[in-house]
Amino acid sequence: MKDEKIKVIKDESTPIYKEWETWARKGNFRVEGYQFVRAPCGPGKIEDAKMGEFMLVNRPHGALYTHSYGLVSKFFQGLIDKKLYGTRCPKCGTSYCPPRMHCWNPVCRVAETEWVELPLKGMVHTFSVMLFSADAFLEMLPFVLAYVQVEGSDTTVPMQVVTAPTNVFVGQKVEIKFRDRRMGELMDMYAVPVEGQKIPKDSCLNNPEYLKDLERDLQGTYAYLEKRFGLKKEDIEKRWKK
Amino acid sequence: MSRVAIVGGGIFRGDRFRYENAEEGVAIAFRDLLEDTPELDPQDIEFVMMSYFSDHLNQQLCMGWIIQDYLGLHRKPGYRVESGGSTPLDAIINAYYLIKSGYYDLILVPGWEWMSEVDTATTNEFIASASDTDWDFTVGGYYNGYYACLETRHMQLYGETVEDLGRIAVKNHNNATHNPYSQWRSEHGTEYITLDDYYTDRIVAWPYRRMNCAVISEGACCLLMASEEIARKYSDTPMWFEGVGLGTDSMRPGDRLADWPYRGVYPEDEKRYPENVKKPKTPYPDMANFGSLREGAVTAYKEAGIKTPVREIDLAEIFAPYDGVELVLYEDLMFCKRGEGKIMIREGIVERSGELPCQTSGGLTAFAHPVGATSLMQSLVLYWQLSGRIPEKFGDKTLQVPDAEKALTTGHGGTGCQGGVIVYSR
Repeated sequence: MKDEKIKVIKDESTPIYKEWETWARKGNFRVEGYQFVRAPCGPGKIEDAKMGEFMLVNRPHGALYTHSYGLVSKFFQGLIDKKLYGTRCPKCGTSYCPPRMHCWNPVCRVAETEWVELPLKGMVHTFSVMLFSADAFLEMLPFVLAYVQVEGSDTTVPMQVVTAPTNVFVGQKVEIKFRDRRMGELMDMYAVPVEGQKIPKDSCLNNPEYLKDLERDLQGTYAYLEKRFGLKKEDIEKRWKK
Repeated sequence: MSRVAIVGGGIFRGDRFRYENAEEGVAIAFRDLLEDTPELDPQDIEFVMMSYFSDHLNQQLCMGWIIQDYLGLHRKPGYRVESGGSTPLDAIINAYYLIKSGYYDLILVPGWEWMSEVDTATTNEFIASASDTDWDFTVGGYYNGYYACLETRHMQLYGETVEDLGRIAVKNHNNATHNPYSQWRSEHGTEYITLDDYYTDRIVAWPYRRMNCAVISEGACCLLMASEEIARKYSDTPMWFEGVGLGTDSMRPGDRLADWPYRGVYPEDEKRYPENVKKPKTPYPDMANFGSLREGAVTAYKEAGIKTPVREIDLAEIFAPYDGVELVLYEDLMFCKRGEGKIMIREGIVERSGELPCQTSGGLTAFAHPVGATSLMQSLVLYWQLSGRIPEKFGDKTLQVPDAEKALTTGHGGTGCQGGVIVYSR
């Protein structure tokens, strides 16, 4: 091996390192604020509680992780190039998307798998309509989270399905699209339903009562987004192509 | 080999905010145990098996050392067990193995979690870092979303309804109104709820409403475990371990369509896959059932000699962070066949007046869910149940299951990545 040192081939990191420099200083466990509160406390049942005084401190902590995607880096590089890859075990034939570089079928004795390019087509295996989420995704709400079986794969990959939340169903055929801004993460791609499909009668969400309640609470989520982030419903629908 | 028993317990009630810090909460739970177990000299404790889930939530690694130190038990051997939501059950099972193997006779199991130092969305985010952060978390998933997807799949395959999920929620919340240690009662009082209340509750991740999801809590619990030789020194009513079992499944639920280690292991369940749905390579568990819990149940029932769980077990405290998990586990714990979970709730079998009451405590959605303490709290309730002490402990006899002899509890981590089952007897 001639070229035996670690060498950066492409670098989209420098700006974020600079931006995070200030964050790292903020997130230094230093106390940035405090409160005194009176609150129920003590042993026993609810009715045994007494009032006590406590001091609370605000202590931030931020960090920038630099994480390797390892041997499946090719998959994420593929996303940047608008291609979808999976892997296939040459011994048992199982196709994996998400890819794994070693087959998990115990009879294959950790065989190395081979890369295959997959079509940008799949099927919704299961889904949820998300009306609340973790911090990182609040501004994406509301969205359909689905596990999609990409054509030719034996496993499923989670992705968001861009459609009216009341339209999704198990077995729905989808096309996989890529966003304009791609960073090499699953969010670089999303699914849209293939046109002209009818919602099956036996779809578990296809019940007028369920849809009515879902509509009601979707309005609540839109109101929350406008109040917290100033996002209008129309803006929310436009954000996908970016 | 010696039998093993739970011979005492103490609780520091879980609630949304508790401002005593973790070591103080654990100390209060330990003092509660000492008051209930006058024969216990803390110096006799031989090992401390500590249970807490997250290092992120409190900006503190190795909190177990703080706990041992604060309780004055720091000369003793001890370590921390961690396996997501299964943490507290695995801690109990670890202590069981150590006593069973003859290494120790008396082990203290303290468990705790302080989950409200960051806001709710951040708590969700920290917990979600127990899922695959390259492949599951990055698309906006977190546990409400993953579990909702799992429940949607089961619903599509086996036809339970939103009403069935609502019935489980109503059952558990109404049980919790009789539990004076429950977070639901602390926040909402003792009035019963109905299905109508359930329908007005906000959907967070369809098909789940807020009431279907585990609460965020701060709280602590301590259990005392002993070998047969010394158990009766501490308790007149030891709760014996009859069988334990552990199991695991894939990290990512989406991979369970080609879940090779499960292929052909449960042929009956594979056969019960509906004809009109495209079959994955491995039809059980798919993204519908929990293979890890099935593995745990099979092992535990074998050790306990249980043949027909629904008849032989008198009550269960299931670790169900979502109500669909409870319904699906009726199947994986073999209370009924795959696809029949809905019948268990529709026919009232799991109500407190039914043949196999589940979650008399209120469970994770209504009792409390300070992760590292949760299974300890559920086992403590079973200890009180099997010794007939619910009226004394709760000041209310409603939840007491009369003459209960055998009880079951489970642990559940990740998206069913880790599972465990314990069968107890009085």
